[in-house]
Amino acid sequence: MNKTLLAAALFAAMQAQAGTLDDGNLSLSGFGTLGVAKSNTDQAQFTRYNQAEGVADQAKIGLDSNLGLQATYKINDWLSGTAQILTRKNTSPTFTTDLTWAFLKARVNDETNVRVGRVVLPAFLISEYQNVGYANTMMRPPVEMYAQAPIEAVDGADVTYQHAFGDLNFTTSGYAGVSRGKLFVPAAGTVATYRAPSAGLIVGGEYGPFSVRLAHARIKMTSNDLGPVNTLTGTLAKIGFAQLGSDLSLIQGKKIAFTSLGGTMDWNNLVAQAEVAMRVAKEPVYVPDTTSWYLMAGYRIGKVLPYFAHAAVHDAGHSVTLPAGFPTSGALGTPVASLMEAAEQKNNLIGVRWDFAKSMALKVQVDRVQPKTKAGTLIFAPAAGYSNTVTVVGAALDFVF
Amino acid sequence: MHKLMTSLLLSALAMAALPASAEIVVIVSQKNPATRMFSEQASQFFLGKSNLFTPADQPESSHIRAEFYQKIADKDPAQVKALWSKLVFTGKATAPKEYANSAEVKKAVAADPKAIGYIDKAAVDDTVKVILTLP
Repeated sequence: MNKTLLAAALFAAMQAQAGTLDDGNLSLSGFGTLGVAKSNTDQAQFTRYNQAEGVADQAKIGLDSNLGLQATYKINDWLSGTAQILTRKNTSPTFTTDLTWAFLKARVNDETNVRVGRVVLPAFLISEYQNVGYANTMMRPPVEMYAQAPIEAVDGADVTYQHAFGDLNFTTSGYAGVSRGKLFVPAAGTVATYRAPSAGLIVGGEYGPFSVRLAHARIKMTSNDLGPVNTLTGTLAKIGFAQLGSDLSLIQGKKIAFTSLGGTMDWNNLVAQAEVAMRVAKEPVYVPDTTSWYLMAGYRIGKVLPYFAHAAVHDAGHSVTLPAGFPTSGALGTPVASLMEAAEQKNNLIGVRWDFAKSMALKVQVDRVQPKTKAGTLIFAPAAGYSNTVTVVGAALDFVF
Repeated sequence: MHKLMTSLLLSALAMAALPASAEIVVIVSQKNPATRMFSEQASQFFLGKSNLFTPADQPESSHIRAEFYQKIADKDPAQVKALWSKLVFTGKATAPKEYANSAEVKKAVAADPKAIGYIDKAAVDDTVKVILTLP
């Protein structure tokens, strides 16, 4: 929070100074979304992911609305500093502000950059700009995939190398650092904190209107205050299943890997984006392995871009082996089985983006969310589960400045 | 009112004159070793895909800018803006610096061996080197 205040103060100060300081080295910019959405049920709430409040059958602005402010100062020919703050509804039911980016960037040569500070964990194709509505076709990142890795920032360093081989632009980058943040725990209505050393590699290529990107990330997820999980593992330890408890728990830190292959196309008015991503536990942990994918396709007609997409997340196995004789149902077996089960879900959505004015786009999107197990990604669903199809209607105004 | 009429008249004239004055040239400094370039190559610098040259842009609402991106990359201003939003808000690049008109772009390009700009063909003089002509 102190960091956030500091960044906000810094930004305000820089803005106030901008007039006098404007020697062409300071650039201030921003982005935002004013969105409203509602669903057709009061039984459960639809969220982006890691949000403490979603939408039910009452229209709300908190699901999609946000505001980002960014300042970049060019110190000299090879060194610059950038800070970005983002206000939105995340793990708290009110709007909060986070310092999302804060780094010094050194240009080593024309093809190599090194950044030190805070960057966004680039686990998936659009991870880094998922909050910039204007930069995206869809209203929100497919929750089926992006909820697999709720980690956002990495404090550390990254290095990027880019080179053109003829018409093929090749980019590769690597990063390492430590992520810290909050996780909203719907089952308890509480917020847990985590610390996760993380590192990853990305390779990507762009050829005219086509691009592909392969990313691999590894984190060691550590959380001491994940209430419902700790209660369960505590009980297990007391009744002689200490090993199982420690296998499930995140207290000691557990290695989890994410792999994503994604691509985009913007060719002759045909716009497409597709990605497949996996979450795989590298050590025993309650977090289930999952595979997710989505495909979006659209056709640009002047300033109007209608699109549709399908997204899904599936259970892909578990890293914890139950001890011999451990019940699969009952007072102990059921909660353990349920904890390890993945929240499977499918979604079909249609929408339209209209670039109606300079630096502004209007979007309308209808999602048909089909939770399969554990109420899918929906929160605050009935304890018995929820598998009815939920329709979410949203409208958003995206802007950049 | 008089101003409005003048500007209406001017824009009408500009539109009428369009087909004749629509030739855009891509320029670099005389000190830049480059001699010619394909449009695909030039578009790399203006779309943030390469840092080898530093792009100098025309004003956001200018006609020449819209026409340039249409010709060089088949993109309208909103598509270009969305693309730059990705780069700017992920800290990958800073948007090209804008200059008030062709004369200002020419001045900036002449002064910087790494700069690349585009101007109206009629504005070219020997302070800069034309490396690409977009008909």
